[in-house]
Amino acid sequence: MSDLENPFQETLISRHRAEPCTVVIFGATGDLTNRKLIPAFYNIAACGDLPPQFKVVGFARRDKTDEVFRTELEAGNRKNSRQGHNEELWSSFSQCIHYHRSEFEDLDGYKSLRVLLDEFDKERGAPANRLFYLASAPEAFKSILEMLRAAGLNEGVGGKWARVVCEKPFGKDLASARALNHVVAETFEEKDTYRIDHYLGKETAQNIMVLRFANALFEPNWNSRYIDHVQITCAENLGMEGGRGGYYDTAGALRDMVQNHLFQLLSLVAMEPPTDLSADSVRDEKVKVIRALRPLIGPEAVGKNVIRAQYTAGSVDGVPRVGYRQEDRVNPQSNTEPYVALRLFIDTWRWQGVPFYIRVGKQLPKKATEISVHFKKPPQVPFATNNLIKNSENTLVIRIQPDEGIALRILCKQPGQAMNMQQVKMDFRYSSSFGKASPEAYERLLLDAMAGDATLFARRDEVENAWKFIDELEKAWHKTDNPPPMREYPAGSWGPKEADDLLRQDGREWRLL
Amino acid sequence: MQTIMAASSLKDSDLGRLGLETPISRIESELKKLWENDEAKTRASLINLAIYTEDSSVLADDNALLDRVAAEHSCRALLILALPEAQPPRARAWIQALCRPYHGRQAVCSEQISFVLEGGDATQVQNIVFAHLNSDLPLVVWWQADITKHFHERFYSRIDTLIIDSARWSDPAPQFDALLAALGEETARFDVRDLAWTRSHLMRTALAGCFQDANALQNLSKLRKLTITHLKGQRMTALLLAAWINRRLDMSLELELIEKDTGPALQRLILEGEGVRGDVRRDCDSSFVHVCTSCGQHEHKELLPADADSDAELVNEQLSRRGGSTLYSGMLPLIRAMLK
Repeated sequence: MSDLENPFQETLISRHRAEPCTVVIFGATGDLTNRKLIPAFYNIAACGDLPPQFKVVGFARRDKTDEVFRTELEAGNRKNSRQGHNEELWSSFSQCIHYHRSEFEDLDGYKSLRVLLDEFDKERGAPANRLFYLASAPEAFKSILEMLRAAGLNEGVGGKWARVVCEKPFGKDLASARALNHVVAETFEEKDTYRIDHYLGKETAQNIMVLRFANALFEPNWNSRYIDHVQITCAENLGMEGGRGGYYDTAGALRDMVQNHLFQLLSLVAMEPPTDLSADSVRDEKVKVIRALRPLIGPEAVGKNVIRAQYTAGSVDGVPRVGYRQEDRVNPQSNTEPYVALRLFIDTWRWQGVPFYIRVGKQLPKKATEISVHFKKPPQVPFATNNLIKNSENTLVIRIQPDEGIALRILCKQPGQAMNMQQVKMDFRYSSSFGKASPEAYERLLLDAMAGDATLFARRDEVENAWKFIDELEKAWHKTDNPPPMREYPAGSWGPKEADDLLRQDGREWRLL
Repeated sequence: MQTIMAASSLKDSDLGRLGLETPISRIESELKKLWENDEAKTRASLINLAIYTEDSSVLADDNALLDRVAAEHSCRALLILALPEAQPPRARAWIQALCRPYHGRQAVCSEQISFVLEGGDATQVQNIVFAHLNSDLPLVVWWQADITKHFHERFYSRIDTLIIDSARWSDPAPQFDALLAALGEETARFDVRDLAWTRSHLMRTALAGCFQDANALQNLSKLRKLTITHLKGQRMTALLLAAWINRRLDMSLELELIEKDTGPALQRLILEGEGVRGDVRRDCDSSFVHVCTSCGQHEHKELLPADADSDAELVNEQLSRRGGSTLYSGMLPLIRAMLK
């Protein structure tokens, strides 16, 4: 490839437009490829943002032809594509989809993959970038990475790059994450490693930085002097449907959600302003937040600050639900938590004394993920009715899903002769202000990975520091003689009473979503 | 230049589509009533979007366009038909809600205020427009009239984004002169968005894709000829594209423009030289372009999305793409020179 620059690229300045690229998806016959990845690539193509001469290769164990693979993916795309399915576009796009059969541990399969990728480059007339997407079961990551290295596929060809995208879970504890990071590091440089967390691809998650750092209104107040506490809630109104119990019972809410998604949101809310928007500047600030989390060590500290619970039989939206231990593929004696609530402190100048309450759970009354920032009450209010209004503090709510948006709760005077106050809500909703649907998180993240922007991906030290914190909680629960008890809550309620008490003892309440 | 129509040419059916006729002094209170009538509606607004025209024959089209744009970009829409030469002077206004479904049941609505201003002058237009803006929101104006006439500093100094369509200009040179003069004013802080330029956005993207190919890129200097096939009435769209290509290549290619009576605004772009050829072709009924790059033995084909056709889609496209328009603004002097 020459060093010549394409003079017509100027028109693309505002768009993520990557150079020619081949993406290899490991575990390509799985649900993720069918439901998310291929529809994401298709929608990128529909927007005209796919790199020219793009190829995607599905790598999996089952025997099938390109044609059969394409037909299977077409059905998935019809069902899952955000912008619908256009026959003409699919007919053209599907020609870039190929299938490569191999066992994950079979070096010959990787050697023949290399031959296939070289053939694609020959067709293009020049080498292209290569992106390896690990969408397989996590147990296979190690073999895949080792085989990629053994086959020499971890090195870019002709000045082009080779990168790897790792799906979650990235390890199940610090030791396994470090072991996996070690294998990754032996195969790819950190700058070429993209650990995906689809929460970061969501429009509102990205908007947190804009809200904080582009508005002079908030940042001066974004500290312990003005903020009383922060709540992060991720509620699901589903349980273990679709056979999810098998995996989930080995993970639990803490490892499945808190270590990755919720800690990413926490970092975005609590981080210091980055010096610039480069991937490492942003991630440097995010990792500082995780490092500054006050450790919770031992069953007593964990018991005082973390509540774990399982749901018992109940009902959601009037539909009866069984208890967690009665769910399909869940161990009837399970000691795994589908609900966890935490009180965390970040030991930095900015956040000294400000509690961050996090809760995540299954079989709660509704599906909602949001961050609420609760400001302190004014030091002196000359209106007698202030104390009569419950939750009268100003609250800024960032809704991540569904109904992405931002709401600000303030107090206003009620009309009339008396000086009565009332809470009012200023509400911004993406969907009502912008008629056009936002791109799916995977579209944004895949484009970023192809374009070399790692800002929305987790870095090694972020992942390991998060596991370091989580491991202490798991240790207190599972490896001590006097573990904090597993609490219970009826399916369809907002969690166990003890989680409410966690805030009540601080004179606070969970926000009613 | 557009013909200025007499007030008598206004059709009752067109005016009837503008909603509820309201005295100008009571617009805000009538709008409030409109919302109070149905609590299920959500009012939303991100911008003030004004269309200014002096052509009564486009009133119905503009009204329909605002409905389509508001479905994607919640706004306070202002439709202003000014007929400066009509007598006697008279100002009329209409209000309506532009609603779209939301979550199946509720409706999210923008609000539209339409004015027909007969007689009067530019100051009257300014006063009426500025009195009915949604405060603190950006003002985007699509100026469909002659830019050399009533487009005055007191007006454009308040505009955040100016939309024009240079393809509609029968004599573009003085229009560009007036635009450049306005942009040169210290108080002008508006971005210019030319729909004729927007019409080629994805064509330009496709062209960039053609020359992403390493072989084609190495043969760029061999390019000699540019052929653009365009719809009748879209010559300016084709010229803007040609100007951009010459500027990017830093050369002056032999240019051939082929005009067609039907089909999309831009139908084909061929860039060729000895042993190298980039071809971006759009079929009449397709929403995609076929891209074919050939360079020696190598040939590469792709299917990419085509540019929007309707004015509403083009305006939506522009409103989706916030940020500066430096690429276009930087080309204006070049375009002006081309038109000499």
